Amino acid sequence: MDFTFPKEYELFRRMVREFAENEVRPLAKKVDAEHRVPFETIKKAAKLGLMGVPFPRKYGGSGAGETGYCILMEELGKVCTSTATVIGAHTGIGAMAIYLDGTEEQKEKYLKPLASGEKIAAFALTEAQAGSDAAAIKTRAVRDGDYYVLNGSKCFITNGDIADIITVMAVTDPSLGARGGVTAFIVEKGFPGFSIGTLENKMGIRGSSTAELIFEDCRVPKENVLGQFGAGFITFMKTLDIGRASLAAACLGGAQAAMEGAMRWAAVRSQFGVPIAQKQSVHFAIADMATEIEALRSLVYRTAWLIDTGQPHVKEAAMCKVYGSEVASRCINRALQIFGGMGYSREFWVERAFRDARIAEIFEGTSEIQRIVIASNLFREMGLRISP
Amino acid sequence: MRIIVPIRQILDPRGFTVSPRHERIFINREEYIINPNDKNALEVALSLKDAGEAEVIVIAGGQARLDDALREAMAMGADAAYLLTDEVLAKTDAAGVAEALARGIEKIGDFDLIVVGQETLDTADAQLGPWLAEYLGVAQVGGVRQASISDGVLRVRRNWGAGYAEVEVALPALLTVASGANKPRYPHGGRIMAAYREWQVITWNSEDLGLTAADLAPLTQGRGRAFPPERTLGERLTGSPQDVAAELVQQLRLRRII
Amino acid sequence: MDFALTDEQRMFQKMFADFAEKEVKPIGEHTDHEEEPPLEVLQKAAMQGFMGALFPEECSGACLDFVSYVMLLEELAKADITTAMTISVHNGLAGKTILDFGSAEQREKYLEPMAFGEMIGAFALTEPAAGSDAAALESTALRDGGDYVLNGNKIWVSNGGIAGLFVVFAKTDPGAGARGISAFIVERDTPGFKVGRREKTLGLRGLTVTPLYMADCRVPAANLLGEEGKGFKIALQALDVARLSLSAIALGACQRALDEGVAFSIEHIQFGGPIALKQAIQNFVADSAAEIEGLRWLVYHTAWLAAQGEPFSHEAAIAKLLASEAAYRIANRMVQVHGGYGYMKEYAIERIYRDVRALPIIEGANEVLRFVIARDLYDQVGLKIRP
Repeated sequence: MDFTFPKEYELFRRMVREFAENEVRPLAKKVDAEHRVPFETIKKAAKLGLMGVPFPRKYGGSGAGETGYCILMEELGKVCTSTATVIGAHTGIGAMAIYLDGTEEQKEKYLKPLASGEKIAAFALTEAQAGSDAAAIKTRAVRDGDYYVLNGSKCFITNGDIADIITVMAVTDPSLGARGGVTAFIVEKGFPGFSIGTLENKMGIRGSSTAELIFEDCRVPKENVLGQFGAGFITFMKTLDIGRASLAAACLGGAQAAMEGAMRWAAVRSQFGVPIAQKQSVHFAIADMATEIEALRSLVYRTAWLIDTGQPHVKEAAMCKVYGSEVASRCINRALQIFGGMGYSREFWVERAFRDARIAEIFEGTSEIQRIVIASNLFREMGLRISP
Repeated sequence: MRIIVPIRQILDPRGFTVSPRHERIFINREEYIINPNDKNALEVALSLKDAGEAEVIVIAGGQARLDDALREAMAMGADAAYLLTDEVLAKTDAAGVAEALARGIEKIGDFDLIVVGQETLDTADAQLGPWLAEYLGVAQVGGVRQASISDGVLRVRRNWGAGYAEVEVALPALLTVASGANKPRYPHGGRIMAAYREWQVITWNSEDLGLTAADLAPLTQGRGRAFPPERTLGERLTGSPQDVAAELVQQLRLRRII
Repeated sequence: MDFALTDEQRMFQKMFADFAEKEVKPIGEHTDHEEEPPLEVLQKAAMQGFMGALFPEECSGACLDFVSYVMLLEELAKADITTAMTISVHNGLAGKTILDFGSAEQREKYLEPMAFGEMIGAFALTEPAAGSDAAALESTALRDGGDYVLNGNKIWVSNGGIAGLFVVFAKTDPGAGARGISAFIVERDTPGFKVGRREKTLGLRGLTVTPLYMADCRVPAANLLGEEGKGFKIALQALDVARLSLSAIALGACQRALDEGVAFSIEHIQFGGPIALKQAIQNFVADSAAEIEGLRWLVYHTAWLAAQGEPFSHEAAIAKLLASEAAYRIANRMVQVHGGYGYMKEYAIERIYRDVRALPIIEGANEVLRFVIARDLYDQVGLKIRP
């Protein structure tokens, strides 16, 4: 047992923290207010290898594994959830699917420009009536010579409208259901028949874009089948598992920043003649936050270690996601309460953090789905299959 | 073209607080960072490398922990790193380190340019550049802000009074770079991993440099430290804006500031 | 014990519900999105007598009893929380205070235009350094001949952007702590009185929340509300009404959130059926319904105490504390029921979630209410506690 970070991760964290402070924080309020993607940050991040942190250096990544990627997400989560979301959807799920199940040729062609940040990725699974329920996917892919023809639409796709390369799940055999009947495809934005639908107007993470994707006789070359034909379910489950751990890392950063901000505020805000930091209600709120954050930190980085060392991690990743998102919401909510009226004002970062945090309990599998994943894994260990 | 950049390390100022009242330094987190001005020097070297064919070598002398500073410099873009350390080098002072660095640079050999940060942030030590120039017998330009090279001629922009001067320098030469001359690049994520996992820092001890403990005996001796007196608040002017402005002008005139 | 509503109250309830459903609910999204105060609705409300809900008939009021009044707020909040807040501040914090403490002249001069919706009321107590700690007020009102001269700044004044009159608290005796506070009626166009730039807020975006700046603002002595030095008592009583009102608004918000969640859970299909069939969703719904049922009778009981002229300060604090936290909890759960849709502005629950987050903060942060409740309890056993 050794819980210290190797030195390369310490330096990596320091670099990312400075990057987050100097390059990301100054834009956080602006991109939220203007409802736009911080492309200038993405460009700078790409130059530092931050668009492909977990991927090996031979694919143009940083070779920092899930651990390094979690560090990035934690530090970005402290300053701007939108930026963390854009980079997270690109790296953690969009490009990740290609890294996990792509052929060497696909990695050469698609992963390299993604890892270097030249191109942006998205991951398209969710549909209007099929999010967590993959068996209900309606987008169809039908073979036509050397092509598959895709028809259908995807919704709530983070980076959907800015992505160059999109990993898309479509039904190839409706008789087989989720297992065996769904295949993953790599779709380029220029493929004929692919278009962007409406953009969502969201409560938070307004510096990231969420789009509807439309496939109308969209022709995808057969070599763009990602992973085994019919095994799309496995591809996206593996991808989402990894995405969940890093998403929790962003939540960890958000929670930590909220706690530190609340402490600084409590030290200067006086009521009844003393700083509110002298009030026990504040002490207990801070103590609860710190305890949950510490537990979350251990959970996140242990799960990252499981992933980096190739060990089973499905259950732990789901725990990260449900616990991380709920800790972040709770901490930011408590921080907002400590800020009082100031916390409700849009002049101040807490208000944005509060809106941003709420999505983490919802996207990439709601908290309810995570609980189902956790419970079904636990019951399976004792030999009982449960259905959602 | 071979460029050598010496690197020094300081205690991270964000990790301690100075209390003049208690005459004490409270260290909350003992972490060392590259002397910021040395990062300016490295940035000048790396931008020369970006512009053409150049090899940037970083070198540091003193305590073993400088290894981290050198790896960070490699992550920023340096091609090779040399660490001069052993028990004797760890205990010497700035003059001893300068001598060791000069020997180390000679041993690396074939350099065209040495780029040094003008001073350290912690002790405002500005002797390394002049010392190395003297020892190695090369021309020195101080207060450097930018450098570029064409046809084998180095063009340097340096501070000159309230403005700048552009000078041409024959190689080999040594530049001391002004603090804040540029915004140093961040280390690259992938290079950080490689710096620790793939690349080596070449280590030499005092014997390798042909130096004895006597050669490296400190020339300076610490006698303790004192804190500057606390500054008192100035005079506060009150009244209407007109009155305050008039009073301010009056006071400035009285003090012959305007 | 009789929990039945009177015939009159039942009739009122239906009328409030109709009004809210027809006139208020459709503007909720617009009010939030455009950050516009619901001025047209206020005019329509005035026609119904809702802008003078608690005023007697001679002031053109509707003369509602407190139980009916909280039902009004509850129904309005079900439709749109911002509108309910606007009307509540106007009726409760401003109108009721003038009604209870104002002189005959003041009542005559101000209550009728308020009831007609020609003059909207606001209430200015909070200052940058004095929120829940009213004794720390820094604004001053010094007597000068037939006037008081007001100086100081106020923040977080609800309705600040649209109000024609403000009940303003300032110290007439700056050395005297809480006993030096007096209340004044200040009209918007008084020289030296300036309404500042609107706050941008997380929710309640149609409620114009502003700061006030008073620089040598001269207010005739006739506008002193109640007696000099009795402002603190006035503020406390106004806050009791405000807390009761807020608990009713929170109750309405809870109900609306639940209604939205239930409707969505029936429509949304996952794993082959409506999510309403999932136990996790049923638990959310059941927990919320149970909380709402408990709250409803707590709020009505507190209103009933107020209607009887009984002390209700302690109960109002409890009702506000529980209802505001329940509103946030339930709205939060119902966002979760909506999943991704709950995060999108197309769905009302997104707005409700942002709106209700104000409730645990305003009209006495819940931390302060906890203190007030504990203080009342310890008082009974003779122990004095301090905040």
